Amino acid sequence: MSALLALALQPVLPVAIPLTVGGLMLSVSKRLPRKVPDVVAILVALLCCGLCALLATRSAAAPIVSWFGGWTPRQGQPIGIAFVVTPAGGWFACFVCLLFAATLVFSWGFFEKTAAHFHVLMILFMAGMVGFCLTHDLFNLFVWFELMSVAAFALTGYALRDSALSGALNFTVVNTIGSYLILGGIGLVYSEVGALDFAGLAYGIAGVPHSPVVVASFVLLSSGLLIKGAQVPYQFWLADAHSVAPSPVSVIFSGAMVAIGLYGVAELYWTVFQAAPVVQHLMRSMLLGMGEASAIVGGVMALLQRHFKRLLAFSTVSHCGILLIGIALASRQGLAGTLLYMLGHGLVKGALFMVAGIMLAVLGGIDEIGLRGAGRRIWPAGIAMGFGGLLLAGLPVGVMDTGLERIGTAIHDAHARVALPAVMIGLVCTGAAVLRVTGRVFLGLGPVAGEEERSPTEQEREDANRPLWLMLVPTAALILLSLPIAHDADRLGWVAASQLMQPRTASILGLGLGSGPGSGLDAVPASALVAVPAWSPAPVSWLPWLATALALGLAALGLSWHRLPGTTIRLYERSVGPVVAGLSATQSGLVADYVTWITVGLALFGILSAFG
Amino acid sequence: MSPRLRRAVFLLACVCLLPAFAHVASTMPAFGAHPLPYGDLINAVGVRERHVTNMVSAINFDYRGFDTLGEEFMMLCAVTGTTILLRGTRGETQDRPQRVPGREIRPRADATVLICRLLAGFTVLFGLYVLLHAMTTPGGGFQGGVIIASGLLLAFLGEGYRGWRHVAHSELFDAAEGGGAALYALCGFASMLMGLPFLQNMLPLGKSGDLFSGGLMLVENAGVGLAVAGGFGILLLEFLEETREPEPVQEDE
Amino acid sequence: MTGFLLPLLPLLPWAVAAWLFGVGLYAIVTSRHYVHLIGCLSVVQASTYVLLLAAGYRHGAPAPIFYSRPPTLAVDPVLQALVLTDIVIGATVTALLLALVLQLHKRRGTIDPERVRPMRR
Repeated sequence: MSALLALALQPVLPVAIPLTVGGLMLSVSKRLPRKVPDVVAILVALLCCGLCALLATRSAAAPIVSWFGGWTPRQGQPIGIAFVVTPAGGWFACFVCLLFAATLVFSWGFFEKTAAHFHVLMILFMAGMVGFCLTHDLFNLFVWFELMSVAAFALTGYALRDSALSGALNFTVVNTIGSYLILGGIGLVYSEVGALDFAGLAYGIAGVPHSPVVVASFVLLSSGLLIKGAQVPYQFWLADAHSVAPSPVSVIFSGAMVAIGLYGVAELYWTVFQAAPVVQHLMRSMLLGMGEASAIVGGVMALLQRHFKRLLAFSTVSHCGILLIGIALASRQGLAGTLLYMLGHGLVKGALFMVAGIMLAVLGGIDEIGLRGAGRRIWPAGIAMGFGGLLLAGLPVGVMDTGLERIGTAIHDAHARVALPAVMIGLVCTGAAVLRVTGRVFLGLGPVAGEEERSPTEQEREDANRPLWLMLVPTAALILLSLPIAHDADRLGWVAASQLMQPRTASILGLGLGSGPGSGLDAVPASALVAVPAWSPAPVSWLPWLATALALGLAALGLSWHRLPGTTIRLYERSVGPVVAGLSATQSGLVADYVTWITVGLALFGILSAFG
Repeated sequence: MSPRLRRAVFLLACVCLLPAFAHVASTMPAFGAHPLPYGDLINAVGVRERHVTNMVSAINFDYRGFDTLGEEFMMLCAVTGTTILLRGTRGETQDRPQRVPGREIRPRADATVLICRLLAGFTVLFGLYVLLHAMTTPGGGFQGGVIIASGLLLAFLGEGYRGWRHVAHSELFDAAEGGGAALYALCGFASMLMGLPFLQNMLPLGKSGDLFSGGLMLVENAGVGLAVAGGFGILLLEFLEETREPEPVQEDE
Repeated sequence: MTGFLLPLLPLLPWAVAAWLFGVGLYAIVTSRHYVHLIGCLSVVQASTYVLLLAAGYRHGAPAPIFYSRPPTLAVDPVLQALVLTDIVIGATVTALLLALVLQLHKRRGTIDPERVRPMRR
């Protein structure tokens, strides 16, 4: 029994098993009976979910370290690649596998005609994300990052419609540039420090904290990850890609793939770069600003959409902005909150994209105006959507709220003036947008659409080859999973954040704790891990309620727009109208524009690091 | 943005980046003369520990063999994705050579056929040579696999599409690609079954400078070669099949 | 005449890498043809080759192949291995992009990025 447990605690398994199964499944893809790929993929996802949960639980006391090929460091010089499981990485990987399992159930039979190719891509996608969470080597991180990117590129274009293809092209070009930025960052930091292992890098950087090369490397690495994490001004590809990918794929994209880029930023900062003062400065200036801008821009853009998947895509930008705010504050409170908010948001957003998939399959459309009142016959989906909208708006229940309260406390402690209003705008706008669609589609509220209100987008539809209940069960499961007891979640988040921030350079490099060249590196009292501060209510506990109320009000305003007096509408069109139009115009769909914005973002990084 | 504005914004951003670049470049470690602790360590111990003389292969398949595992599945992923995207309109079950109605088939010149037959054989042989010498001299599964796949392309040039498709079956390529990649992963599991860390060598290492030195690396290298040859075979097949598509009916804008 | 430029010579590899990156991005920004754009992406990628190989270079040192001579100080094999991975990534992503472009051309009859934008609202 203990031998079996020791085997199950090998961190490589949740990556190696899906890879092997994927390879074998592809080699016999033509001969597999129809339902086999579905069953195998779901089982693999559940198995990996269980393995990751086990690893995460066991890593609460100390990280689980495993060197591939048995190549442990020599005199403090890493020679191989390690997986290091911390609670943060372990639980995030577990969440990823869970989301995949739910998605594969949701898409049961949907991709039958691709002869297992879809399932191969999905489980490799999952393996890449799990590897990204567990690895402790910079280049290995890049390999898994690229594996998941490649899988994502292919899955986006799957529908082969015009918009799907051009959305996938934008996604691929922009994200591939991000990959090359990451490679550039790896090259820079390697030439300066001569290591690839996180601990080796941290050790080297602690010796040259003021090196501009280290800062440049951080800028390139975090830019690459923030392109994946869709932060202003790198966010444009997201709406093009997430709105056109098949709904089951969008569930993964918005639920986990975007957040994983931000997780990467947090991990790199705390385990590698935190000793560099300019990097600390960039976190609190550039990254915080990007998070605030994303929260606002994403929220406003979400309000303007009528294509429900596109609306959800913009809300992902907004909420990931909130996540980045939590990371950029670089405090234990903020990180703990962010880790929880990542999980909560992933579950809720995944469920909402599943509702979008149900609409596409059963109602044959996704346009808010065109589907007015059409959703009544699938009312359970409406309940899920409405509840999801309230959760996005900050309704104080469940994991999302626990995380948000921690982030709020961190904002309060750091005196970040703009962050709080930015978070509020993000919550209110995204919540209002989803609630407005719920009201219109499922309750039939709002004006009757005229002929000129026809959908401007092409006809979309996804196969309805599976019963409604099969799609509703995973949707409901995700929403329910986001509502556990707040205290336990809070404790978990705190432990995860503490472990992620805990310096472990010396112990991983095998340098003695007491003396020698590595002493002092890990000098953080272990008690910091255990002491979870008492459950402290957020500084302003009525804020979540205010956000929820405002979101409901804004949704009602959106639905009764036509009843407003003409002067109000004209005032709006004169004052806010041009700003909103300008914002919409930036989302031009042109890859050339997006690449220009990437350069602008890099230039901002460059200018701000000069002031560090 | 209009093209002119876009160009202006881009150039402005580049100008803003120039001082940052100058600052970083001037503080970069001295080109060609800075310490390389990681590489030096491997150069120093690689031959003794792994019994191979090509250090790049020692890194690719052993010290950092786990990277190569991911890299190989990345390739598999891209090939599978390309297959899905290209097959989307043709349908999945089609495994017979297509023909565009009305397009004449020009017979190939004898010289072309002769040269291609000669070269194809030599190219595949050369690919195998490069693949097998991974452990001693520059070469390896990736390079060898690609060369073997280009031999397949020569076979197409010489024999024509129909003749080529008699040999080139997508099932065969799928099996080579998926099987080769899975073989690499299974090497890791084999280590684990023997109670060793994932991907640790448990085969005899052989003699340095020998063609068959390196132990487990040889199996991994073969897996990579198989996967790369199969993967590029699929790419060739799918893209060639695309040229057999009937001309598309242009949709109205 | 070139004497005063000599101290700048060690900066050349980094400058080449940055130049390739910038010029590749510029070409992407101004491209009107997706196949051309994919080529430009390879130019951007080439900058990472230059950077990685330059970072691992050592004056006067041989290649890390010890077939016909005993192990000595050589250039960094780690970065060469990384570049190998980089090349594979470039090749596979290019194949994927070309497949997308091919399908787009089939549907729209054009592959000018300006004319094949995704939906805009």
